[in-house]
Amino acid sequence: MLDVILSQVATGLVLGGLYVLIAIGLSIIFGLLGIVNFAHGNFFALGAFFALTLQQHLGWPGVLLAPLLVGAVGMLVERILIRQLYDKEPLVSLIITFALALMIEALLRLVYGGIGQPFSQPSFLSGIYLWGPVLITKYRLTVFVTTIVLLIALWAFMQFTPYGRILRAGSRDPEMVGLLGIRLPRVLTAVFGLGCCLAGIAGVLAAPLWTVIPSMSQNAIMPAFVVVVIGGLGSFAGAVIAGLLVGVVTALTIQFQPDAATAMMYVFMAAVLLVRPRGLLGERWERFE
Amino acid sequence: MTAGPSRLAVPRRRALLGAAALTATPLAKPFIAPAAAADTIKIGLLLAKTGDIAAQTEYLANGTYLALEERGNKIMGQPAELIWLDEPSPQGSQQNMQRLVQENKVVAILGGSLSSNALAEQATAAQLKIPFVCNNAAATDMTGKNCNHYTFRLNTPVAVQAAMFAPYIMGYGKKWYFLTANYAFGQDIAKSFKQILTQASGTIAGDDVVPLNTPDYSSFILKIRQAKPDMILGGVPAGDLSTFLKQWNEMGMKGSIPICEIAIGDTDIWAVGPEAATGLYTALWWYDNANNPPEEKAFAAGYLKKYGKPAADKAWMGWIAAKSLFESIELAKSTETEAIINGLESWKGGSATNPYYWRKGDHQMLLRNLVVQTKPKITDKWDYFDVKGVVPENLADLEKVFGSPEVNGCHMT
Repeated sequence: MLDVILSQVATGLVLGGLYVLIAIGLSIIFGLLGIVNFAHGNFFALGAFFALTLQQHLGWPGVLLAPLLVGAVGMLVERILIRQLYDKEPLVSLIITFALALMIEALLRLVYGGIGQPFSQPSFLSGIYLWGPVLITKYRLTVFVTTIVLLIALWAFMQFTPYGRILRAGSRDPEMVGLLGIRLPRVLTAVFGLGCCLAGIAGVLAAPLWTVIPSMSQNAIMPAFVVVVIGGLGSFAGAVIAGLLVGVVTALTIQFQPDAATAMMYVFMAAVLLVRPRGLLGERWERFE
Repeated sequence: MTAGPSRLAVPRRRALLGAAALTATPLAKPFIAPAAAADTIKIGLLLAKTGDIAAQTEYLANGTYLALEERGNKIMGQPAELIWLDEPSPQGSQQNMQRLVQENKVVAILGGSLSSNALAEQATAAQLKIPFVCNNAAATDMTGKNCNHYTFRLNTPVAVQAAMFAPYIMGYGKKWYFLTANYAFGQDIAKSFKQILTQASGTIAGDDVVPLNTPDYSSFILKIRQAKPDMILGGVPAGDLSTFLKQWNEMGMKGSIPICEIAIGDTDIWAVGPEAATGLYTALWWYDNANNPPEEKAFAAGYLKKYGKPAADKAWMGWIAAKSLFESIELAKSTETEAIINGLESWKGGSATNPYYWRKGDHQMLLRNLVVQTKPKITDKWDYFDVKGVVPENLADLEKVFGSPEVNGCHMT
C-alpha cells in the first residue's frame, strides 16, 4: 500500500505543479491589481491554441513565442478594458472579466471550430521514468522542473529587482508610489501582461496532456481559484503550497474514492478556510478589507 | 488603485439616444413579424452551445442545417427555419424547450445532446405535447421506462450497444477494468457491461467512477497499470475520452491493454491525434464506410464540399434525425402534433439491405451499428477507423437485439 501511496503522491505533485503555474498568474493579478480575473482560464486556453498554431507553422521552437503572445494580448486587454475597472466595485470586474471569458472562448470557437485539436508532446520528450513504484513521464517531469525554475525566477524578480519592489509597493499603496513619480499605469499593464503570460505558459505546457478545445479554460479556472483561495488571496508562497497540496489531495482521492476526486479539492478548501479564513498564508490587506 | 475617470468611446448623449432607439424597436415588431411568421414552419433545435459537448453539437447542428438546405429550406412548399437554443443544464434545457414552444411556436424539436439533459427534455416534451426527436443521447431509459408518446430517439440505447458489442470484446479476456463517467451515460454503461461480464463469469479488476471534465487521468492510469486487467471498459464521453487517450499514450500505456468503449464520436478520436489514438468502439456511422447507401454518400460529399472536412458521425445523426422529421411533416401534410408523430412512425430510411426506422412501440430508431477499430497506422488526419463489422450481423436479429418495448419497460403513455 505504501508503494501505491508514494506513486500517487508523486503523480499528485506533478499535477499540483501545473495547478501552481495556472494559479500563480491569477494570484499576482489579484494581489497587485485587485482584479479577480474570471478570464484567466481563457488566457490559459489561448496559450494552448497559440502553441498549436505556432508549432504547425514554425515547428517546436516557435512554441516558445506562444506565452509572449498571450502576454501581449493580456496587455492589450488591460489597456482597453481592465484599466477602466480599477476604481469600480469588485462586482463590476467580476462581471466584465466573465464576459471577457465568454468572448475569448467564442473567438476560439470561431477560429478553430468547436472540436478538439490534436496536439502531442515532442518526440524528444516522450518516454517514462520508473523509480521503484513511482512512474513519471519525461514530459511531466519537464513540466514540473519548468514550473520550479519559473517560480524561482519570478520570486527573485519580485524580491531583488527594483521593478519587483515597485510592484510590491504599488500593490500596497498605489497612491504613494504615484507620488514618488512612478508611472503606475504602465506598471499595471505590465503586471496584467505577466499574469496572462504565466497562464499562457501553463496552457502551452498543458496542451500535450489536455484536450485542446475552446472550453478547456473551464477545467483550468476552477482549480486555479481553489488554489488561490487556499493559499491566501495574493500570496505567492501560499499559491505554491496550495497548488501542490491540491494535486496530492486529488491524486490520493482518486486512489481511494475516485468519484469524489473533483469534489475533494472543494472539501479541502472548505476545511482550510474553517481553520484559516484568510487561507494558508493570507494576510490582512487594508485595501481589500 | 488610482486611475483617471473612465471615458466612453461614444459620447454619453449619443449612447443614450442609441439606447432609446433600441428600446423602441419592439414597438415596430408587431408590424414586421406576422408577415414572415404566418407561413414559416419553425423547428426548434435544442443543443448545447458551450462545454466539452459543444465539439459534438457543432456537427449535430451542421447536419441538421444541411438537411433543411437540401430541401431548399422548405417543408410542404412553405419556408422553414430552425431556431437554436442552448442546453446549459437539465433545468435550463427544460426552460429553453418551453421558450421554443410557447414563445417561438415551433411545431417540433430536435436535439438532446447529453443524456442528463435529454431525460429532462423528454419529460417536458410530454407535458407540452410537442414532438421531440432526440438526435444524440443514448441513456437506455429514454426509450425504456421513461419512454413517452412524444419522444423519438435516434441513438442506440447503451444496453443494446453493449449486447451488440459483447461478442467482439470477449476475445480480449474476462478481467475488465471499468472506467466510467459519473453521469447517466457512464452509469448506464457500467450497469450494462457488468451484467454481461457477470453472465460470462468474468471478474472486475477495477471500477473507477470518473467525475465529468476530469483534466488529469494520470492517477487513474496508475491504478489501471497496477490492476493489470485484460481490457479497459470505458464509459467516458467526448473530450474526456480524448484527454484519457492522450494521457494513456503519454504514460507509455498505448498498446499494453486494449481499450473498448461504445458510442465513440469521430470528433473525440480526431482530437486525440494519430500518435495516441487507440481502441475498439461501436459507432452509428462512418463517413468512409464503403457500404453506405448512395443517399448517405451524397450527404457525405455535400458536407465535405460545404464545410471542407468529412462529416463526423454526429453530422450524420443531426442530418438523419432532421431529415426524418422534415419528411414526416411532408408525408403528414400537416404540422399538427399527432400528424407528425404518425408520420415519424411510418418513416423509413437507409437501404434494402440496411434499413432503419422508428419503432412504433417505443419510438426507438432501429438500426444496425458498426464496430470500428483504430487503424494500426493513421496517415490521414480524418481517416482513423477500420470497420470491423456490422452488428447485429444478421438483419433479422435487429428487433431481437433491441428487445421488445415491453421487455425494455416501455409502456407508451
